[in-house]
Amino acid sequence: MKPAQFDYERPSSVAEALDLLRREDLFVKVLAGGQSLGPMLNLRLVQPDLLVDITGIPELKRAEPDSDGITLGACITNADIEDGRAPDVTGGVLPAIARGIAYRAVRNRGTIGGSLSHADPSADWVSGLAALGAEAIIRGGPQGDSGRRTLPIEDYMVGVFEAALEPGEILEAVRIPRLSARARWGYYKICRKTGEFAHAIGAVLYDPERSVCRAVIGATESTPLVVADAAFLFGDRPSDNLAATYDTAAAARLLDRKGMTDPFERQVHLAALRRAVDRASLQ
Amino acid sequence: MKTISLTVNGKAVTAAVEPRTHLADFLREGQLLTGTHLGCEHGVCGACTLLIDGSPARSCITYAVACDGAEITTIEGLDEDATMRRLRDAFSREHGLQCGYCTPGMLITARDIVTRLPDADDRRVRFELSGNLCRCTGYVGIVRAVRRVIEERQKNGSAARPEAGTTPGTSLGPVGSGHARTMPANGPIKRQMATATTTAPAAEPTRSPSGQAKPGMEIRQSFTVNHPPDRVWAFFDQIDQVAACMPGASLTTPPRDDHVAGKIRIKLGPISADFAGDADIERDAANKRGVIRGGGLDTRSRSSARGEIRYALFEEKGGTATRVEVDVGFTLTGPLAQFSRSGIVNDLASRLTAAFAQNLRVRMDRAAGGSPAEPEPSTEQTAELNAGALVLSVLWARIKSLFGALFRR
Repeated sequence: MKPAQFDYERPSSVAEALDLLRREDLFVKVLAGGQSLGPMLNLRLVQPDLLVDITGIPELKRAEPDSDGITLGACITNADIEDGRAPDVTGGVLPAIARGIAYRAVRNRGTIGGSLSHADPSADWVSGLAALGAEAIIRGGPQGDSGRRTLPIEDYMVGVFEAALEPGEILEAVRIPRLSARARWGYYKICRKTGEFAHAIGAVLYDPERSVCRAVIGATESTPLVVADAAFLFGDRPSDNLAATYDTAAAARLLDRKGMTDPFERQVHLAALRRAVDRASLQ
Repeated sequence: MKTISLTVNGKAVTAAVEPRTHLADFLREGQLLTGTHLGCEHGVCGACTLLIDGSPARSCITYAVACDGAEITTIEGLDEDATMRRLRDAFSREHGLQCGYCTPGMLITARDIVTRLPDADDRRVRFELSGNLCRCTGYVGIVRAVRRVIEERQKNGSAARPEAGTTPGTSLGPVGSGHARTMPANGPIKRQMATATTTAPAAEPTRSPSGQAKPGMEIRQSFTVNHPPDRVWAFFDQIDQVAACMPGASLTTPPRDDHVAGKIRIKLGPISADFAGDADIERDAANKRGVIRGGGLDTRSRSSARGEIRYALFEEKGGTATRVEVDVGFTLTGPLAQFSRSGIVNDLASRLTAAFAQNLRVRMDRAAGGSPAEPEPSTEQTAELNAGALVLSVLWARIKSLFGALFRR
């Protein structure tokens, strides 16, 4: 349970980090807290030449709220969000998700950007932020150190353990929209033990003032199933009482399209979404 | 080696560390602070929990090198801490420990609970303790001990001012990262891994696994190629050609008497494995079906895989096309198996099959003399599969449209 040898650098700016990430002769991995990568290193599943620890870079640890939402640097921790040190613009949604991630000792070092880039299908942020309509802000690329592009979170994870990062790119921040006061949110995670990998995740956001109705079925075997316009799950008439018009058959058809055939898998994923809908509903 | 300076239980320490040394080993082996226990060493059991800059963290998945400038407090550093004294008494009184292995981590977590959550009830205490495993007590005594201290604090007020370095900070980012100084590079960064010259493995003989236990994983895949079954069957006879269709696979020696030796590189995000091994092929030409039995070893992770692949060809579209059905059953042992999550393996297998089918189609088109619809693979050895990576995205889009009906992805 000891990692194979690796080198370690802790750059103090994004530009320095990108310089290291452009090394083509080395297998370079970014370390952004290491609460998922650490176990893989200890198990020697991952044997990089160089770890680039980005947690010393001040601009990756900023939390900047504005009227439309908040920009959270990649190295904001789950505990920062849980405790409100990173301001909440979602009426309690983000702190509640954060509190359910692993354990406090892990949340104190585990970061939002690290989790997204690790791209484990069972991770909370992959599904939760997709349901919130968040975006990934990526630095670097062909335009060099100041290059920036933005992707919807659901496009940032491209497969199991694969994020949409080109060589020489880094996840700089996550942009999360501010929810209106009327927004309704439901999130349900099925795990065998508190803090364990989720077996299924369901998430629903209904924010009529912003004309948003989104749903996510997550913790599947690959990328989560993200429904950007989920009105059809509610008979095209979503209301504050989402459960009243919720159409389980329509959700089941989503699973058909995803190719999920195992009856148990279907059952837990439909149950997770159903319970998320119940939690989102005003009753 | 990197030189780090940090504070351990109030004492300044400067030491040279290998980057791979985790904080718990640094403290136990280097500082002889053996109160921090190591259980699972991958962040699950909580035995190694200690305070970094006053907040609890896992010392087995935090590398010492990343704690440069940080303040570390282990269980030894809390001997005189008033809250910890109350907790120790309560753990003794309420049977909060038996063998004592989990206790240092339990106490650190318990201290965090009583100071951070002064109103926690039983349910919340259990939720917060879920990251610390105890195999002796059944948790009842531990929960009771924590609740006793919470009640005492509610009645008598919290204890006197805690020791320096034992209260959480207010800065953003991972605990311990607030002091980061750029580390002076000492010497060029080395390539750590031997280049993938997978030497022929001493794989065990792979004769028929009669009486073999049920394989750990079973996967069924199918795909269609636009060539008649006879031609596909003939193509399947050319083992070198078939192997070349498998992403990341190549033969290490020429096939003989239905026995093949080869290797395959599989990449899943940051995980990569080079399996080398051998297999025997049995063919039933009359029914156009066959079985490949074999096994291989990934020398780097010392994981091995054994299993069999059954394949069968079926006529489609009035004999102009062939549906290939593949059943794979395999068992993975060694470190990689600890990580295997069936859904992820299934996803990888379906990607591998899709890439294999695509390569097969290209090669068969070329062999049939028709102008291939797709660009030919540039080298004989097909690129390793980098599951989901963007390098595959163009190919991937084609696969999806080709096999959309079959894979429904």
